[in-house]
Amino acid sequence: MSLTTPRTDWRAGIERRLTRTREFVDDTDPEALAVVLASMGSLVAAFFGFLLASAWTAVPLGAFLIATGYGWVRHQALVARAVSFAMTTVTLVTLGLIVVFIFVESIPAFRYETTSVFGVSVPGLGMFAQTRWDAVSEPVRYSLLPMIHGTVMVTAIATLVAAPIGVAAALFIAEIASLRVRELVKPGIEVLAGIPSIVYGFIGFTVINPWASGAFALNGGSTYLFVGMVVGLMALPTVVSVAEDALTSVPDVMKNGSLALGATDWQSMISITLPAAFSGVSAAVLLGVGRAIGETMAATVMLAGIPRISDPLVNVFYGYETLTSLIARGYGSANGVHESALFVAGVVLFVTVLCLSIASQYIEARMRRRLGGAE
Amino acid sequence: MSRATQNALVRDDRTAYETVTGTAVGLSGAAFAVGLTALLDVVAIDYSVAGLELSVAFGAVLLALGVSVVGFGMASRLGYVDAAPQPSAGIVAAVAFTGIWFAVGAVVSGAAGLGTGGRLGVGTVLGGIAFATTALPREDVGSTAPAGALAGLCGLSLVSGVVGPGWEQVLVGYNATLFGDTVVPVLVLFASLVTGWSAAKAYGGFGARGRNVGAYVLIYLVVCSILAVLVGLVAFVTVKGLPGLFNGFGVGGAGLVRWPFLTNGAGLLADIAGVFPALVGTVWLVIGAVLFAVPTGVGAAVFLSEYAEQGRFTGAVEVATNGLWSTPSIVFGLFGAAFLIPRFGNQKSLIAGMLTLGFMLLPLVLITSREAILAVPDEYRDASAALGVSKWQTIRSVVLPAAIPGITTGVILGVGRIAGETAPILLTMGGGVLPGKSAAPDVLGSFQLSASPPFVSNPALLEATSALPYQLYALITAGLSGNIQNPQEYAWGLALTLLLVVLAFYAVGIATRYYFRKKLHQ
Repeated sequence: MSLTTPRTDWRAGIERRLTRTREFVDDTDPEALAVVLASMGSLVAAFFGFLLASAWTAVPLGAFLIATGYGWVRHQALVARAVSFAMTTVTLVTLGLIVVFIFVESIPAFRYETTSVFGVSVPGLGMFAQTRWDAVSEPVRYSLLPMIHGTVMVTAIATLVAAPIGVAAALFIAEIASLRVRELVKPGIEVLAGIPSIVYGFIGFTVINPWASGAFALNGGSTYLFVGMVVGLMALPTVVSVAEDALTSVPDVMKNGSLALGATDWQSMISITLPAAFSGVSAAVLLGVGRAIGETMAATVMLAGIPRISDPLVNVFYGYETLTSLIARGYGSANGVHESALFVAGVVLFVTVLCLSIASQYIEARMRRRLGGAE
Repeated sequence: MSRATQNALVRDDRTAYETVTGTAVGLSGAAFAVGLTALLDVVAIDYSVAGLELSVAFGAVLLALGVSVVGFGMASRLGYVDAAPQPSAGIVAAVAFTGIWFAVGAVVSGAAGLGTGGRLGVGTVLGGIAFATTALPREDVGSTAPAGALAGLCGLSLVSGVVGPGWEQVLVGYNATLFGDTVVPVLVLFASLVTGWSAAKAYGGFGARGRNVGAYVLIYLVVCSILAVLVGLVAFVTVKGLPGLFNGFGVGGAGLVRWPFLTNGAGLLADIAGVFPALVGTVWLVIGAVLFAVPTGVGAAVFLSEYAEQGRFTGAVEVATNGLWSTPSIVFGLFGAAFLIPRFGNQKSLIAGMLTLGFMLLPLVLITSREAILAVPDEYRDASAALGVSKWQTIRSVVLPAAIPGITTGVILGVGRIAGETAPILLTMGGGVLPGKSAAPDVLGSFQLSASPPFVSNPALLEATSALPYQLYALITAGLSGNIQNPQEYAWGLALTLLLVVLAFYAVGIATRYYFRKKLHQ
């Protein structure tokens, strides 16, 4: 985002834009303009029709297809530009729709869990101020704290696994490996990212859980310890690939200068490359944390599914429930306020991960500016 | 890259010291490997090695390693060997050893029956000593003495049988018990890691070069273990899954190949239960997601990199795209359930699953396509513009063809990723646990025209459909049981099928990348 745009009077801005639009309209073939307007208008109409769940959505959609098809033959350049603009807005619209829909669905649970503090009633506070989650027996309460605790445990263990190993592997790929070895290791790590999470979960359920149950004489086989390790393995490829991008983006000039002074490879990595790429590497770790928070299937299959906080708090030999597994397990059989409470869990996940994503983007942008030099 | 460490000018040929330290590194590696097999229950720790129990043998090895590591440091400190140690082992090593020895003190005194205060006290004292020994003396002592002492302590406890087969420790309040079977291998793994690093430093003659060697040993170990995990996982699923996948497989007969696991349903009529409906479901799912996401993503990438001026709008789209990329899959599932299901007949349906996965695929396609388009050199565009070709013609005949390799690779890898997703389709698409063959969706044959809106309908798209990852999840939640012979074997076969489908996408994607890159470099 450019922050260097001079602050202009908004009226002048609108004026300029209007003039430009007028010139554009004057310059363009009126028929092409009509076709594009028809196509875009019917697309918007189709979108709102779909939003309102109207059975007539097909009509504007058909109109859009016909107008665009006709325009593609007659005025390809303009239509391509308009359609590609419409496609660009899809990501923004999707993000907006996600926000609106999961927030709207979560309102009943926020209402239900209203608690008053000093005479002011705060909706949703009850989900974070007590620890009881019970959707069946009285008193029915929907506290998210047990699941947040589980997510924090799993994420912490996963980060302890993924961050050091991931950064070491990224250093290897970016700095140490010869070309031939790199061509072997890099696809290997990509493939690791490709193994479906349910396959990890299946192995965890059939192999790791029974093993852990015997090896530690546990009550059942679910443990945050091993779920965290599996999730860490799944977050690993994200850390490796993003950190490797950051490390390779450090200009060779900097490393070569250090090597020319007689420093060893390791010294150059530790004192030149890693500090220069530090923000990129921490962004990689943040993204890995985001992946670990959002990991669903392995946790669902391997955890016991009891919404309770382990005692003592840091006991890694219990495995109860995370936010993600709560949704995956409960959705479908839940209804009413219970279902809405699952959406609140989704909101917590979504907001947390979105914040992590934006933070890592900010860090990366800052690093690019610094490495870019005078720009 | 330069190889400053392989500096033949200042290094003599291999000395006896290097041979001994090298052997110690190798021995640590061997101890690590055997410890791993013991942890995985491949060998028992009371297995007899040359008359000794394995755990005692481990102890002897660790003891020897510990003593020799301390010896390496002393030899260098007393000037018997040619090394280049620095004045101190450095703050990182000091902090690490402080932490390790603090933990050792706390655990040992806890086992000896001290309370929390006593444990903290002993831990702090040991940690302090370790810090002083690491940070204060010269590097050759600082980085060997604490490491050797640690390995020696582990070795002693194993040799003396304080920790060994049959040893157990109840973790009071933690609902867990530690047994010798797991603790011994973990001790061995940890101690051999420490001695390996320390011996590697000695091998490099300490100093900058020693640190280089020590760090490389650890990094190589990390990379090798990642690859080992990957190969191990794939091999494990393959071995477990092959019997199910090839159950009743044969060549010849009515078709060329008989492969009941892939062509049968799981109903009562099928003699060998198969995954046909889920396989077809996954195929349609992928097709639907690709039809939605690829044109949209590529179009958006073209607009962003060719038409749009860098500004607020592109910035916002970029943030939104990256945000969507990292949004948890279960949130996409919730979104699909709240947004799509009410608009497609109020029940879980194939098309809801397709679109949900399409939304997930969109950011992947957009990011990779944009990178591919930006990687097309500006000279191409300038040359085209200089010939008087219009902007759109340039994009169509110059930019897009040059970017196709990158886009294809990105799309294939993205598809591989979403084909294995379970969470979104769990909430939006559903399907049965063991669907019969008739449950396979017949999308092409189900289109119907009608006189009332919405004029075109397709019941196959509006029905709950199973897909490979979902069916695996459903089987697990059903407790790996069902109305078929040998559900375990069936589930492993299913897992292998899913893994193969996903890995096939990855293999094709990676191969495409190499193909185009090779072509580019010719």
